[in-house]
Amino acid sequence: MPWYFYLALKQLFPSGRRFPFFTFMSVVGVALGVMVLVVVQSVMSGFGFEIRRMIVESEGEIQIKAQTAIADSAALVQRLEQVEGVAGATPYTGGTLMVMYHDKPTFPLMRGLDLDSVGRVTRLDHYVTVGSLDALDDDSVILSSGLQESLGVPVGSTVDVYSPLILERMGRDEYVLPRSVKVVGILEFNHQQLDSSTVYCSLRLAQDLYGLGSLVHGINVRLKPGYREDDVVAKINTILPPGVQAFSWMDSFSDFLWVLNLEKGMMFFLLLIIVIVAAFSVMSSLLISVVRKTREIGLLGALGGRSRHVALCFCAQGFFIGVCGTIVGLAGGWGLLVVRNDVVHWIARTIQREDELRRFYQFSDLPQHTTTGEIVQIVVFTIVISTLAGLLPAWRAAKLKPAEALRSE
Amino acid sequence: MNNEHDPVLGARGLRKTYLSGTQRLEVLRGVDLDVAAGESVSIRGESGSGKSTLLNLLSGLDAPEAGTLAWSGAAARADRRARFLGMVFQSFYLIPELDALQNVLMAARMIRRPGAAEKKRAGELLARVGLAERATHLPAQLSGGERQRVAVARALMNAPQLLLADEPTGNLDEHTGDAVIEMLLALCRETGTALVLVTHNAAYAKMTHRALVLHEGVLR
Repeated sequence: MPWYFYLALKQLFPSGRRFPFFTFMSVVGVALGVMVLVVVQSVMSGFGFEIRRMIVESEGEIQIKAQTAIADSAALVQRLEQVEGVAGATPYTGGTLMVMYHDKPTFPLMRGLDLDSVGRVTRLDHYVTVGSLDALDDDSVILSSGLQESLGVPVGSTVDVYSPLILERMGRDEYVLPRSVKVVGILEFNHQQLDSSTVYCSLRLAQDLYGLGSLVHGINVRLKPGYREDDVVAKINTILPPGVQAFSWMDSFSDFLWVLNLEKGMMFFLLLIIVIVAAFSVMSSLLISVVRKTREIGLLGALGGRSRHVALCFCAQGFFIGVCGTIVGLAGGWGLLVVRNDVVHWIARTIQREDELRRFYQFSDLPQHTTTGEIVQIVVFTIVISTLAGLLPAWRAAKLKPAEALRSE
Repeated sequence: MNNEHDPVLGARGLRKTYLSGTQRLEVLRGVDLDVAAGESVSIRGESGSGKSTLLNLLSGLDAPEAGTLAWSGAAARADRRARFLGMVFQSFYLIPELDALQNVLMAARMIRRPGAAEKKRAGELLARVGLAERATHLPAQLSGGERQRVAVARALMNAPQLLLADEPTGNLDEHTGDAVIEMLLALCRETGTALVLVTHNAAYAKMTHRALVLHEGVLR
């Protein structure tokens, strides 16, 4: 090891029993910044990852939408399933309904599912917490947990369903009865928005309520593993009839993803300030060290050390503090991520705000998803900033003339 | 091209001036000095006569305004310093984070990563200066005399041809100072190292081969 790296390490971690207080405080400062960055970036990514998982597991990776409606969906589904990379396709119908239980009206979204093919595309059955998707038929519905809770309807009870078509007929003074359906299950994603107000029913019931005949509003497509959404979307669009278009889930939720990424980027740069503040503290400590060690710097010259090597010695101290702070910060960050839910629930319990936490933050648990790219980004930024913090002290040290430095008091 | 007859140190017409406010102080007014291999030379002079300035010029740490300096017949250059000369100072200048052995090895590190041979030599030098038992002690755990002995061992680590000592007993009591000077001269004799000793002490000056006095910027 060259003498300047050796001496840099020795000045940070001296021999003997001397506790390196300056090194300890500098490393802790950098580590705190790294720890906060890792935790926040992982939790933000976790939100994005959870949302992607829920979208894909409830609607597939690709959504095919028509300007009006899609005719002969069965033939189109067959053609779609021939496309390379497509694992399955299922038609759906969506819209809004009025659901009444004991004269209490609500206006949830409706999702009509093709019960024969929905299992090839979605994993809705994994989210049915009461009852079963198999119990769904043309005279029954499954309610999202939030809707079931707000209506106060027990599973097994009957609710009245009004479609826009029924309401329109009633407006024309026609005598039309609502459709009475049985609640056979509750579906819960553990996501406030998705769980708030949705009715899941069979495709035939949805078509009947909307008077669609055999038409559907769209088709959801599931991909085989390893295929990129955009590549398959391009292939699918070549076989779709006019007025029908395929979108990847990223396209469908592009605004939401953009906001999510913007938030994440902003958080990164705001929290990076902690590392920058720590770097200023490192710089200040190293500058003091240069002043304190002026005669030692002169000695290094007398021993044959070059100015640039003296500079490297101080720059390396910034680098080593950055490396140590990053390692400690990564370890601390991962440790905090492991216990994040215990910490959040403990705080929520202590201040008696668990319900609010769930209502406002969508998820009952804090999700986390750590990517190699983000960790590399944090590591590189931190080490570069810490090394830059050593530049000014290094320049000051290199500027000292050995003869004058040796004479200094 | 240097040859074996060249003096280890050859200085011709070294001049140095300092500015003190608006006043120019001509500290060295054309110093000539040759030191042969294995020779010991003492330089005495009053405080402020320019002894340390001269030593800085001889070591290449400072540049003269006029004159030439040669080490073993070749131009003195910073990149030759680590191998060519060793220095001992009044204030020891040990690195506080390193123990005695590591301080001695620091001189070798300036040239290359020390191997087993360098570590053995450093240990032997410490033993020679009577500090074999204190090799792992930090400077703060050593007395003034012990620190100066470590500094002497460090100065000799790279087997230099020339050793420059700037009042090495200035911070030591008389008894310890005597011991350090005797040890320094003995080591230089044993290793054939030329020595330039700056001192106030006339008795120490007499112990060298040649005693010079720096007066009014000139060596006599």
